Amino acid sequence: MPTTQLDRAHPAGPAAEPPRRPSVWRRVRANGWSYAYLLPFAVLTGAFTVYPILASLGYTLYDWDGIGEPTDFVGLANFQEVVADGYFWNSLANAALYTVVLVPVQLVLALAMALVLNNPKLRGSTFYRAIYFLPAVTSIAIVGIVLKLMLANFGDALSAPLAGLGLIDQPLQFLGDPDTVLWTVIAIGIWNTLGYNLIYFLAGLQTIPKDLYEAAQLDGAGRFARFVHVTVPGLRNVGVVIVFLAIIGSLQVFDLVMVLTGGGPFFASDVVNTYVYRQAFGQVGTGVVTEPDIGLASAASFFFGLLLLVLTAGQMLAIKKLRARKERT
Amino acid sequence: MTTFRTASARRALTHILLLGFGFAYLYPFLWAVGSSLKSKLDFLDGGLSLIPPAPRWENYTQAWQEASFGTYFMNTLIISVVSVFFTLLFTAMAGFALARTTFPGRKIVIGVIMVTFLLPHGYTIIPVFDLVNALGLLNTLWSVIIVQVGGGLVFGTFMFMAYFSTMPRELEEAARVDGAGFNTLFFRVMLPLAKPMAATLGLFTFISSWNNFFLPLVFTLGKPELRTVGVGLYAFTNQTTTNWTLLCAGAIISLAPIVIVFVVAQRYIVEAIAGAVKA
Repeated sequence: MPTTQLDRAHPAGPAAEPPRRPSVWRRVRANGWSYAYLLPFAVLTGAFTVYPILASLGYTLYDWDGIGEPTDFVGLANFQEVVADGYFWNSLANAALYTVVLVPVQLVLALAMALVLNNPKLRGSTFYRAIYFLPAVTSIAIVGIVLKLMLANFGDALSAPLAGLGLIDQPLQFLGDPDTVLWTVIAIGIWNTLGYNLIYFLAGLQTIPKDLYEAAQLDGAGRFARFVHVTVPGLRNVGVVIVFLAIIGSLQVFDLVMVLTGGGPFFASDVVNTYVYRQAFGQVGTGVVTEPDIGLASAASFFFGLLLLVLTAGQMLAIKKLRARKERT
Repeated sequence: MTTFRTASARRALTHILLLGFGFAYLYPFLWAVGSSLKSKLDFLDGGLSLIPPAPRWENYTQAWQEASFGTYFMNTLIISVVSVFFTLLFTAMAGFALARTTFPGRKIVIGVIMVTFLLPHGYTIIPVFDLVNALGLLNTLWSVIIVQVGGGLVFGTFMFMAYFSTMPRELEEAARVDGAGFNTLFFRVMLPLAKPMAATLGLFTFISSWNNFFLPLVFTLGKPELRTVGVGLYAFTNQTTTNWTLLCAGAIISLAPIVIVFVVAQRYIVEAIAGAVKA
């Protein structure tokens, strides 16, 4: 099982090909330094990238709590268990809602901001860009803890006057209330990663030739017409990549949710990656104690990985089709 | 005249909106700075105010010493710097070998790189944990370093391979004529020319290493003194009586290096990110 890349790089493979001049062995010897240079990469990547992928795939077939060796072979029972587990589907539904709300809101905001900052006459656009990008470059694990504390203070500060007016009957708890927790997490998610999409859109806007705008203006196109007929088509290629990255990234959210809520309260903000973490390491912060089940965690993770792969393939096809159609027109 | 007026009025309005929105955007950071300098009482009194009535700088010395953020900071720094060094060295070497030489097995290595890009990664932390355990590295800083480096080489190797393959053949031939061997060619000719690539990759490796939460969380579960800033802060919130102002001071200590790196290298970071979608 632990096939390192070095094994594969060994001449055993190419030896099956028809013999060439000079012989394979001679060429291997002549390239000694190439192999030496590849060695650290091959050993480390084999051990910490390739082997774990294969091993985790193996674990999906065992009922295993992570202690000792996996011996209790159960076939595909872990996958059946995942598919039958309401908590898994709950976490998938939450991750999907997170994505479906976050992506359009964030992208519209980022595009609007990029259009404003792309104006060459605007002074200080680098400064503004830095402000909006700062949350994206800092660790959400750290910022999340600050936000959690700040929101608790916000809740307390707002609750008193609102309760005085009779608008609410219990204190505001953005992250403690199952009805509001996911929406709060989504809002923070939008804030956190907007900077990336802002930079992507700015980069996309800069690829649109200036004379297209000038020509449109000469033809009497107004601001809105120029946006619809020049900006939007010009952004199409970059746009599909941005949407694609945003969707895949959002579905896999982990650090943010882990730090803010751990998936709780009552699984109301549980996403797939916190679900898997709980299966693998036991109880997190949702109030329910669970035993570690590595087989189930691996199966859930692999199942989710396949879903993402299908989604990726679908989006790739869509991008290809879109590009092909554009070339024809 | 009027058009001039409306234009400048519009510009002023744009700036006011951008600044106002920017202030709201950075409010959590400003709030953390303000709170980190408050006394416990001021913190409870004016929960949302940004300005501490009487700045308490000793919160920072307290966070650094008593709350162990000094230790966490140094742990994170060591992990990040060592990870950057080995990531750059190993990816540059592998990228060079793959780009500039044709040896039997080269296509297989490139094939494996492509496949690992696409394959669903599953829940790899468990086998990684077992491997680190078998190597006897559990409860050392090396565990986080080796896992971070080992898990991040594919991307960097791919980038260096692309970079080195664009370099002209003549350069290599000229060096060979001058009697340069494989090592001289790499360390004296190619690597210095790859500085922009190394700088970008180093920058991103440093940021992602500093911000990494999951790996250090898993590998320092048994040894609190090995925690990184993120994990340390997370553990700090789970204490029964949390000192909130110290928590904020700890957060600022943890965030400061990345904010400084970002301010200094903003142009390169933004350019590299923008390049990701243009291609």
